[in-house]
Amino acid sequence: MGEMLAELRGVTKAYGPVQVLRDVDFEIRAGEIHALLGGNGAGKSTLMKILAGLVPASAGEIRINGTSLSHPTPAQVQALGLYLVPQEAHIFPHQSVLQNVCIGLPRAAHHYRDRIERHIAELGVSISPDAKAATLEIADRQLVEILRGMIRNARVLVLDEPTSALTPHEVEALFTRMRALRDAGAGLVFISHKLHELRAICDRITVLRDGNTVLAAPLADCPDTRIIAAMSPGASALRDRAAPREIGAQALTLEGVSGEGFEDISLGLRAGEILALTGVVGAGRTELAETLVGLRPLAGGRLEVNGRALPRPSPRRAVDAGLVYLSEDRQQYGLFLEAPLFWNTSSFVTHKLPALLRPGREKARFARYRDSMKIRCQSPEQSAAALSGGNQQKVLLSKCLAAAPRVLILDEPTRGVDVGARGDIYAIIEELAAQGVAVLLISSDFDEVVRLADRIAVMAGGRIAGELPGGSPIGEIARLAFESREPAHA
Amino acid sequence: MIRHVMRWEAVLVAILVAELLIFGAINPRFLNSASLLFGTSDFVHIGMVAVPLTLVIIAGGIDVSFASTVGLTAILFGIANFMGAPLAVSILAALGAGALAGGFNAAMIRVTRLQPLVITLGALYLFSGAATVLSGAVGASGYEGIGGFPAGFTAMGYARILGLPTGLALFLAIAVALWLLLHLTRFGRLVFQTGQNEAAARHSGLPVGRVQATTYVLTGLCAALAGLMLSAYFGSARVDLGTATLLPAITAAVLGGASIYGGQGSVLGTVIAVFIIGYLQQGLQMSGVPSQISGALSGALLVVVVALRHGAALLRDLIPAASSSR
Amino acid sequence: MLDAIARNRVATLVCVTVLVLLAVGLAAPGFLTGNTAAIIWSNGLVLMLVALGILPVILTRNIDVSGGSILGLSAVVLGLTVNAGTPLWGAVALALAAGTAAGALNGALVAGLGVPAIVATLGTLGLYRGIMLIATGGEWIEGLPDGLKALGAKGAIGIAPLGWVVGALALALALALRTRRGLWPNAVGDNREAARHLGLPVRRIVFGSFTFAGFMAALAGVTFAAQIGFVPNQAGTGIELRAIAALVLGGVSLLGGVGTAGGVVVAVIFFTAIDTALVFLKIPAYWNDLIGGAMLLLVLLIDGRLRIALERRDRAARYRRATQLPDRTPLEDAA
Repeated sequence: MGEMLAELRGVTKAYGPVQVLRDVDFEIRAGEIHALLGGNGAGKSTLMKILAGLVPASAGEIRINGTSLSHPTPAQVQALGLYLVPQEAHIFPHQSVLQNVCIGLPRAAHHYRDRIERHIAELGVSISPDAKAATLEIADRQLVEILRGMIRNARVLVLDEPTSALTPHEVEALFTRMRALRDAGAGLVFISHKLHELRAICDRITVLRDGNTVLAAPLADCPDTRIIAAMSPGASALRDRAAPREIGAQALTLEGVSGEGFEDISLGLRAGEILALTGVVGAGRTELAETLVGLRPLAGGRLEVNGRALPRPSPRRAVDAGLVYLSEDRQQYGLFLEAPLFWNTSSFVTHKLPALLRPGREKARFARYRDSMKIRCQSPEQSAAALSGGNQQKVLLSKCLAAAPRVLILDEPTRGVDVGARGDIYAIIEELAAQGVAVLLISSDFDEVVRLADRIAVMAGGRIAGELPGGSPIGEIARLAFESREPAHA
Repeated sequence: MIRHVMRWEAVLVAILVAELLIFGAINPRFLNSASLLFGTSDFVHIGMVAVPLTLVIIAGGIDVSFASTVGLTAILFGIANFMGAPLAVSILAALGAGALAGGFNAAMIRVTRLQPLVITLGALYLFSGAATVLSGAVGASGYEGIGGFPAGFTAMGYARILGLPTGLALFLAIAVALWLLLHLTRFGRLVFQTGQNEAAARHSGLPVGRVQATTYVLTGLCAALAGLMLSAYFGSARVDLGTATLLPAITAAVLGGASIYGGQGSVLGTVIAVFIIGYLQQGLQMSGVPSQISGALSGALLVVVVALRHGAALLRDLIPAASSSR
Repeated sequence: MLDAIARNRVATLVCVTVLVLLAVGLAAPGFLTGNTAAIIWSNGLVLMLVALGILPVILTRNIDVSGGSILGLSAVVLGLTVNAGTPLWGAVALALAAGTAAGALNGALVAGLGVPAIVATLGTLGLYRGIMLIATGGEWIEGLPDGLKALGAKGAIGIAPLGWVVGALALALALALRTRRGLWPNAVGDNREAARHLGLPVRRIVFGSFTFAGFMAALAGVTFAAQIGFVPNQAGTGIELRAIAALVLGGVSLLGGVGTAGGVVVAVIFFTAIDTALVFLKIPAYWNDLIGGAMLLLVLLIDGRLRIALERRDRAARYRRATQLPDRTPLEDAA
């Protein structure tokens, strides 16, 4: 094993009465890639933020390159050679890529131009240092963060779910670069939910659960079952497919629908059916869904819900027609975080509430959903901010159900949701379909698609690349999703 | 959240009581019920605009143009009266102009999609400029204003409704109406949700634009009421009638618990804050402090109270023990 | 064309200003002289100082509405100390120190206690004005020494000594904002979380911006007193709103991260030129607010619509690219 680059000893963190980390040890050595795993709220992001000086620990010791720090600041930590690539790239939209990479460095940006151009070439990507950051795609924004780490000569690089927005091609390029850094003697921490990615590049694994270390071992010694058992002892997500359901009348029809980022989409969906719409990020699935409910302009084509045309959709008209869309971005487009939970449940049907509100009825309705979906909360008046990702998602599902949808579009309903809550959400989706709701499931998680869908439509480059029966092999889905989208310059 | 707001209102009541007791100790005449009651005429117009402004702020907007709308609508009333229009028509013209002014703000914000502060800042100049030009047009040069109102109108300025001075009664009526609207109705729910997360509100199909526009129109309408009330009280319509309401009204809304980031606030809190600010000015004057300085003290009050509130939140984060008592 | 106008705000504003001045020149011969230019520059000094001071604050996505009161407070400190026999340089230094301290208090409230900037500076707006009135007892300060008035009187090529100082300061600020540290306020306003993540001293940057605004408002107070020769009670009232209007006109976004000193200078000149032209055209002064407000709203309307049109076009272009990419592959294969 290589020399010790960074270590955390006995780190504890509490927010008020909530204990987030309990006496956690973690170390990063030269020449290794260390996987950090854990469900939502397990404390892994907090642990890494403490290491990066972004959050102060309540107790414990932090040591980077042999220097012990009691209350590190981001500047100190970076000067000692540690850089955290956050899950969502921190971009200054109005500055150039060059400035974005160099802000916070000891010299003016132009001194670093040559090195940055060299690093860009090494990564095998094509972005201009003078491009405005606002114009970058999500994947390129992630690259800006990685460049920041490289230009700071970081010997310890922490990558928090860096692959969630990348195409497989870009993931491979990133892994190549990570291996090269490791072989040059750097230590890396890799956070991901995807086991096959960890298998591809990691040497060691640490699993956190409820703020405790529950597994720390060389990755080769840990079969998948052991890792899953450590993350969630009662995992129910990997159950078999439910019994076949009764499929009813046509509920949603798209004929040659075009809009921003997609063209000529024709699909049909029947009551009681789960149709998965899968593909890679940027294939145009979210844009399609947002167009169907009138959040984006509809450029052409016909849309029919329950046999009635919806010529000029708007969110309100869609809800009234029985078409409900749940966005993939919970915090930004879904929840009213400061509002009481029961307001959230009512928010799709606010226009149907009496002009003089009757909160008692609304609370009772919320309580029904809380019981049937096992939402863990203290009261209907509590705000959603304190709930875990899984429980927030259930609150949003209650918001959709309160609108009594005939067609429900769920966009990445389990992103950022831990394994236990994921099983609950699967059960809810299947229960809905059994009650005759037509479900359009947008998901990039092929396991989830295979597990839930009756039919699978694959989107690539803004078009339907093909349709497959439920339970098709993952390889076949991946072939449709990736191959037709393989970029021209590759 | 609801409990949090209630607690803040209790703090405001405590501040108000303490203030009254201190001034009462300095000058016993201050606590005499007639002076407490009729003294309100000097500041209720602040409250008449501060309450609808609270709704604007909760819905995620801000309005600074109301300070000019007060004068503009008063001048329009004066001109209509000067041209021989019946009293009712003149009053309706003023109210209509106020609503239009609010609608103008809302339309400009919607069409340009720029920050409301910038747009209403432009409108602040535009409306006061229009009022100045209009009052010049009928020969009422400078700041002497347009007078010659019917006796029945000026009498309203000094009348009593249910034993209360007209101004106070009007203010309380506005406050009760908007309290009902904000806290008990569907529209009030929409105001809060629009301010809490505008994007989520759009995704949920809530009529975001209409809700925000309504709050601006309400503010324009109430500014017109304040303009009419002040015209009756002073017996003349002047361009600068509302100028001095700008800062105290925003101060009252913020002191009352409205979050400048939207989504939080209460009518009751604003009403109590209006009395705190109003009686502060009054008490200082009666204690022989020059009136200019009371502006300083209400500014200082805002800074201290809000700093304490934020400081307390900061302390709660730093000392975990304090937060476990929640 | 659209691009050029929207993306080159300063140049567009320069063109509009020149056109307006030419139009006034046509209507009133004798307007377009070097003398008028000197008058416009001199009339705009106070507004320029306040606006340039607020610029870094707005770049950090904060706002400062206390500028007018700091201006008044420092002018009073200058007037009282100099009339009490303090040498002129000492009185000016005290005035600048008072304004800087006032700015620092704003900074401490916002950066230290986390009070929203609009709330904090709204409070200090009242507070500083009140302190000023307590200091003067509500009296105007008159009889300022000639040495002070000389600073605001015509000097080399018709420009007062303070005029040169302000020009130099504007240039220095424009250059400073392009340096490594000068970009920090921009960075904080553009993405505060990112700035923190990259180790920038975010709170110190915000604190520094407010302190700088206080210093500049104090210098505006000195300039004000030097130019008119006395200090009235309402010195500086309302100038903060005019300054913010000028910033917006000059292309500074109130959402932070966007704006240049050059844009602010041109916008202040534009505003002052309009006022000066109205005087020259013998339009009664009471038209000023109406014309100023209408101008500002018109600019905002055009600016807002242009921005929306551009965004729409960029968006359409981006999606066209996205959907056409796979189509092109077979074509290239065939070629």
